[in-house]
Amino acid sequence: MPSQLSFTGFAWKNLWRRRLRTLLTLLGIGMAIGAFVALVGFSRSFEHEWMRLYSSSGIDIAVVDKNFMNSSVSQNIQAKLDAVPVIERDDPMIFNIMDITPEVNAIIFGWLDNSFEFSSLTFTSGGPFHNGRAEIILGEGLAKNLDKKVGETLELQGSTFTVVGIFHGGTALETGAVIMPLDQMQQLTSMQGKVSGFHVKLKPAPAGESPAHYMKRAQALIEAAVPGLNAQAASDRASNNQFVSLAHAVAWGTSLIALLMGILGIANTMAMSVFERTREIGILRAIGWKAWRVLLLIQVEAAVLGFVGGFLGIVFGWGALHALAALPATASVVSSSLSVVDLVEALAISVLSGLIAGAYPAWRGAHLSPVEALRHD
Amino acid sequence: MTSPEVSPQLEVRDLTKSYDNGRIEALRGVSLGINAGEYIAISGASGSGKSTLLQLLGGLDVPTSGQVLYENSVLGTTINLDEYRAHRIGFIFQAFYLLPTLRAIDNVQVPMLAVNGNSTSRADRAEALLIELGLQHRLTSYPNELSAGERQRVAIARALANKPTILLADEPTGNLDSVNSARIMEILTGIQLKHGMTLIIVTHENDIAHAAPRHIRIRDGRVAE
Repeated sequence: MPSQLSFTGFAWKNLWRRRLRTLLTLLGIGMAIGAFVALVGFSRSFEHEWMRLYSSSGIDIAVVDKNFMNSSVSQNIQAKLDAVPVIERDDPMIFNIMDITPEVNAIIFGWLDNSFEFSSLTFTSGGPFHNGRAEIILGEGLAKNLDKKVGETLELQGSTFTVVGIFHGGTALETGAVIMPLDQMQQLTSMQGKVSGFHVKLKPAPAGESPAHYMKRAQALIEAAVPGLNAQAASDRASNNQFVSLAHAVAWGTSLIALLMGILGIANTMAMSVFERTREIGILRAIGWKAWRVLLLIQVEAAVLGFVGGFLGIVFGWGALHALAALPATASVVSSSLSVVDLVEALAISVLSGLIAGAYPAWRGAHLSPVEALRHD
Repeated sequence: MTSPEVSPQLEVRDLTKSYDNGRIEALRGVSLGINAGEYIAISGASGSGKSTLLQLLGGLDVPTSGQVLYENSVLGTTINLDEYRAHRIGFIFQAFYLLPTLRAIDNVQVPMLAVNGNSTSRADRAEALLIELGLQHRLTSYPNELSAGERQRVAIARALANKPTILLADEPTGNLDSVNSARIMEILTGIQLKHGMTLIIVTHENDIAHAAPRHIRIRDGRVAE
């Protein structure tokens, strides 16, 4: 069978004639998309871990003030929460992030020793702490990073704590976390009488009432019982907290800069390619190619660069995310998983970047006068 | 000569073409008619306007004033120039202008990408054309692997790809030695006779010009037939 020339095959041959330039351009867009995949994947993974943290602990509602980072609520309101009929459990907690060592930071929780949130933890060694004692339990990821075992001590903010348990948590946040008695945490953070908020577990919804309606009713009852505080659904708390928002903003901001660099790389390559092929474009026009077909050819070349670059970027980004998930400094807040949606989005953005980058060179190529193009040296 | 009873296939009416805001007048009121199936040579000194006339006949450029008509329809007005070039015209250039990244058989398929058709039929036609032109052993050769004569034969096959009714050749033997020149002219005239195509050759070589049944001389942008 004779050799068949397809439109896309023609486009690919045009790209492949300058192999080094094409490979460097692919590397450039690949790095940009890799940064996007890693950073946005990181921030989404962070949000996802928060979501899992709340769902695995059985938390339905978080009662907090307006802030996420510095929420400070009087512990005395617990009696008012106890009186809300839809609440099954309302446990006070403190949440903070501390540098454990110069290289390792961790999320630290303060809980009561009978908190319902213990239900999501499985101890791999030792057991829970006791209120009033300088004891802590460590997520197994953090224990491994710090090389700590049950019975050893850990210094936090100048205070010494004994590791009494090592647990396997359901999320990266728990695996990299420290949990200590609430009273010890209050001393450590100078929050005597105060807590970050209350984690609430609701009673089962009455028959005939939808979960969504029950949630709204419970939120209203709680906010009426403790005026001035927010009763946030756990899912909202996971996705709308300041950490996640900040992570998203940084990830998208940095990724957009990287993408801009990638777009400029493709635009430069395509502009050079069109300039070098001016006469060839003139030939195509002379033998009957319409302007839009020339435009399409150049845009297909740019899109191919974007697609292949995007594929490379996914590989780079996936590798980077794995590295982040393994690093002590970030292992506590990120997992290495990427969803299909993330991958499709990365490829779509990459191809779109190619099309944007190729738009002007394509327009210029398509509007060359055939006679002028044929005269071009 | 144009027969008064037969409407010419191509007709040029008072054609002018100027460049550089009118400072350079390449064509100054050219009028002529060309019948279907004619073999015409256009000659003239360098800068006389013969290549400009060929470009206007082929719809590569638009005139400053005047009209080019194909089968009584005005180019650029009632006939789209891209469509005209794709379906009616086959161009052959002095410098061959093959695409260097494509093999001979792929170069011949490029014009067919401009019109609809499936890839198998495109490839089959390209192969048949190259075989017809004696290049069966060069189907998968790249242009830089071909001799000048072979390159021009590939260019001729490319010009024939979309079954045009008119072949326009701008100095087709300008880059060839005498043996290859004679071979290319033999091929072009053979195609013209076999397919009944109109063949218009721009040349500065007297023997080629005189061999054509009709010879148009261009001097200072005017016909001096």
